[in-house]
Amino acid sequence: MTGDKEMVNQQIIPYLSPPIKKIIMHLDESLFTSLEEIRLRSGQPLVMKIGEADYAIDIKGKLAQDFRNTYVVTGEDIYRTIASLSDNSLYAFEEEIKRGFITVKGGHRAGLAGQVVMEGNQVRTIKDFSGICLRIAREIKNCAEPVLKNVIPGSGQIMNTLIISPPRCGKTTFLRDITRNISLSGQRNVVVVDERSEIAGCYRGIPQLDIGPRTDVLDACPKALGMIMAVRSLSPQVIIADEIGRTEDAEAIQECINAGVSVISSVHAGNMQELSRRPVMKNLLEQKLFQRGIVLSRRQGPGTVEEIIRWA
Amino acid sequence: MGIKTLGICLVIAGFGMWGLLGARRTDKRVRQLKYLRIALGFLEKEITYMQTPLSHAMKRTGIFTDVEVAGLFKECAAQLEKKSGVTGNEAWQSGLKTLKRESELKPLELELLASVGPQLGVSDRIEQQKFFILIQQELKMLEETAAQEAEAGRKIWSYGGFILGGVIVILLL
Repeated sequence: MTGDKEMVNQQIIPYLSPPIKKIIMHLDESLFTSLEEIRLRSGQPLVMKIGEADYAIDIKGKLAQDFRNTYVVTGEDIYRTIASLSDNSLYAFEEEIKRGFITVKGGHRAGLAGQVVMEGNQVRTIKDFSGICLRIAREIKNCAEPVLKNVIPGSGQIMNTLIISPPRCGKTTFLRDITRNISLSGQRNVVVVDERSEIAGCYRGIPQLDIGPRTDVLDACPKALGMIMAVRSLSPQVIIADEIGRTEDAEAIQECINAGVSVISSVHAGNMQELSRRPVMKNLLEQKLFQRGIVLSRRQGPGTVEEIIRWA
Repeated sequence: MGIKTLGICLVIAGFGMWGLLGARRTDKRVRQLKYLRIALGFLEKEITYMQTPLSHAMKRTGIFTDVEVAGLFKECAAQLEKKSGVTGNEAWQSGLKTLKRESELKPLELELLASVGPQLGVSDRIEQQKFFILIQQELKMLEETAAQEAEAGRKIWSYGGFILGGVIVILLL
């Protein structure tokens, strides 16, 4: 818990504009342990997600659920925070900005809102920023402990596993912990195809979160492309990819599994019924490529294991 | 008589030297504008091709630029490296104060350089490149104007000092 306080003090607060920094410094540091998000929206109250609730904050650093008479974020706050996040070098973060976020040291992410500039069908950049969502990355080591024996059974073979849950239920945290455990146990090479830089939280190519000693990361790489690249060039025994769902992802998974590489991935869905309604996923399940399914929820907090499905 | 002659020589030489220094100053301004233009070209390459973070790009530009104008980039880099929430613009304006002290630039030229600050690092590579090209072109124009002024001024300063010294001697006699 002290680690969380230090982490917020050293890796998050320095990026904020001086007036916001000053206000947050008044907060009781014990709140930092359950701080999930800080949201800056130009002309709107500064909002902090602490645990399950949203709070605004007044100029004395007092939390309030009533947003009236609380600190209002200015354009200057947004400008200064973006300047700090990008080290005054937005040009060096072009690819990240195209994807809508900047990953900073520690693996934390700053989602960006503003005017999107298009070039053909592609996003060229975002300019005139109007909002920033700072999401705090946390590793919860051993959170996947209850399901590990289903993913890594005694036989030594890694089961092709699908982690199923709605957003904010701990899919990525689970996936990261499974990655770390596989990487630590046995002589297996693991490749993380981290399209959204969420699993390893790479900052300038270096993983900021613990994903184990035998893990390579293809950061910001499209999943389908990355999985095929990994099989060809990094000789993995296991490939990890977050949030699959497109036809090309399903094809790449099929390719990997047929090449003898285990795949562990996650997908957005509340339960099996919802998952089966998605044509790509339905097709993938019918092929019986996945051997295990783990359904997560927030019922007893993020990462609650609702169901473990054995498909094979 | 000897003392009088020595005095005349000293007055003429003194004013002559003052004139020569003035002529040198006009040349120096042209040279400094040229160095700044080249330095901004270097900075542009660091930003658009290398995507070097601004603090490091400023530091490198300061190292590879002539000492007469390097203070601008070095001071800017020093401010940015503090990582204390200083923006690119604030760091640049701080660097400009150093340049103002150390250079012969005129207010108009400093004003043009001040317009670089708000654009530093706040857009993508294409936009940054467009801006740097524009600034270099404007600096080139100022450099040409300064060179013309220097050409005309050089003779006035060079001869003017000696002539003024001579006139003062005649008046004193």
